[in-house]
Amino acid sequence: MSDTTSPSSGDASEAGGRTFGLRFATDRLAGRILLAVLLSMLSAAGLILLSGHNPFTAFAAMAAGAVGTPHQIGVALNRTTPYLLAGAGVAMCFRAGVINIGAEGQIAIGGIGAAAAALAWPGGMSPIAIVIVLIAAAAAGAGWAAIAAAIHLGRRVHEVLVTLLLNFVALILVQQLLAGSLGQKGAGFLQSPLMPREVWLPRFPGLDAHPGFIIAILAAVALSFVLWRTNFGFAVRVTGSSRPATAYAGFSLGRVTWGVMLLAGALAGLAGGIEVLGIHRRLIEGFSLGFGFKAVTVALLGALEPLAIIPAALFVGLLEAGSLSMQRQVGVPSALVAVIEGLTMLFVLAATVRRT
Amino acid sequence: MIDFLDAAIRIATPLLFAALGGILSERAGVFAVGLEGMMLAGAFAATVGAWASDSTAVGILLAAIGGGVIGVAVAVVTVRFRADNMVTGLAANILALGLTSYLVRILAGSGKLVSFHLTLLGPWPIPLLSDIPVVGPLLFDHPPLTYVAVLGCAAIAFFLGRTQAGLTLRATGENPEAVFASGANPFRVRMLAVIACGAIAGLGGAVLTLQQVGTFTDGMTGGRGYLALASLIVARWSPWGAVAACLLFGAAEAFELRLQSFGVPVSSYIIHMVPYLIALAVLAGIGRSSKMPAAIGRPLQQ
Repeated sequence: MSDTTSPSSGDASEAGGRTFGLRFATDRLAGRILLAVLLSMLSAAGLILLSGHNPFTAFAAMAAGAVGTPHQIGVALNRTTPYLLAGAGVAMCFRAGVINIGAEGQIAIGGIGAAAAALAWPGGMSPIAIVIVLIAAAAAGAGWAAIAAAIHLGRRVHEVLVTLLLNFVALILVQQLLAGSLGQKGAGFLQSPLMPREVWLPRFPGLDAHPGFIIAILAAVALSFVLWRTNFGFAVRVTGSSRPATAYAGFSLGRVTWGVMLLAGALAGLAGGIEVLGIHRRLIEGFSLGFGFKAVTVALLGALEPLAIIPAALFVGLLEAGSLSMQRQVGVPSALVAVIEGLTMLFVLAATVRRT
Repeated sequence: MIDFLDAAIRIATPLLFAALGGILSERAGVFAVGLEGMMLAGAFAATVGAWASDSTAVGILLAAIGGGVIGVAVAVVTVRFRADNMVTGLAANILALGLTSYLVRILAGSGKLVSFHLTLLGPWPIPLLSDIPVVGPLLFDHPPLTYVAVLGCAAIAFFLGRTQAGLTLRATGENPEAVFASGANPFRVRMLAVIACGAIAGLGGAVLTLQQVGTFTDGMTGGRGYLALASLIVARWSPWGAVAACLLFGAAEAFELRLQSFGVPVSSYIIHMVPYLIALAVLAGIGRSSKMPAAIGRPLQQ
């Protein structure tokens, strides 16, 4: 502690006392992230020992459960899809210094948009129907993100709080609609009627994966282009590294915030739509539960780099697909995955912060 | 009416513990997004402690330790490694949710769920005072942790406003460089404040399990940590203000219960939204406060 004066202290208080700590170390970044994953897997091994099981057996069962058969690979790819879509959007927000935790609500509202559009569809024209329903999902997600952006920018309420609270509202909104106009009467569960077959996402024969994974990868590639090759992407990066510099460079903080929030909302909404059309084929209560936090996990694990989020989301998807087999065959509770995710995030945060 | 206010106080109590802890953390300059996880860890530890030892006191002690453990994780990552406060808090919440769900399953062995049945802490009526009509049953006939919350509020208000250590803590949240220049160690102040935050929020979890629900279920805090976070901002980081803000959210939820029992023709789901909508409306109404600690979220330089 030789020097505690920070040149940014004056600016930080002007910008709402905020600093943008999501700047990643530039040296040996991949190594640091792998170290973080390794440490969290080691901790998980310790927890497996604590439960009286052999960590090697458990991890082997997990690996077999994730990639053992084509069907299981398909399950893992389906799991990966929403995390990759929403995580790439969250990464854009974090890049701009906008801590959007609202993916969960935006996914839920995207699901509502998809269900409403699909159930209102007059029938026929399968491929066009799917595209229109997914556009409705993305628009609904973006609309929900727009509410958060408006409250955050208009009333200067911290976006973490706004997006967190709106998540709860969105989840309850899904329940309300399923109990009312979108719901299936007499189903006994909160769910919508099954959607017309024309809007179901097809499945690859033998793999059981829907094409959502391809859409998600294309989205990540497109976001990488936007972030690194466009004027908007430059504005996002400048905003994230220094808010005063944003003004000097002639960018509007409000416009960048609106841009990343709408983008992230649309991607999360699309994720919700794909989940509804590809997996459940109806809207069900709580289908988005926990997805928002996983989006944050994969965004961090991918160091906010859209292309690196592809393997990060795949890692989490494989982990989750494998954990169910681990629970079934070895008896280690699948809740271990959430421990691994939380620890990985903490270790990534601790290991990759830029030291000054 | 008394029932309604009583329910509001009951619902506000766990929120108040978490909000008081959060005030310590935020006034030392660390955002308290991890309150949810700290409460959950406290609720879990309290349940296991009381169940294993058959002693509520052990449960309460373990609740503070359980919340404190999450506090240590947040403190090390945010203060020592200078990571973003918000995201670290979220990570701690995910960790607490996963860890408590995992541990509750391996406690019984073979991955089965343990079901805990705890004896709830009953009301401790205060002699004489609880005999006063209306006010007595409302204010002086509560289970013990409710009194602890109010006494804790007084203690924290005194600590922050009237002691040297409290002044140092507040200064660390406003201007850590000045604290360093005055010879104190802002790193240590923030570490201790966040760990204390965890322990106090953990007690909020103990209120849920030992005083209100009597068992532990996965993710049972259900967003209370986030409401506590909203209430400490509404309270503008003041302990007594937090009492008022928590009572406001408690009243919103109590109102919800009332409406349901009267069979008012409003959808129960819409009513469930009320606390969150009130939180959003109040936060949007007050806008950003100038009372916010100036150096909050800003990492300390080595």
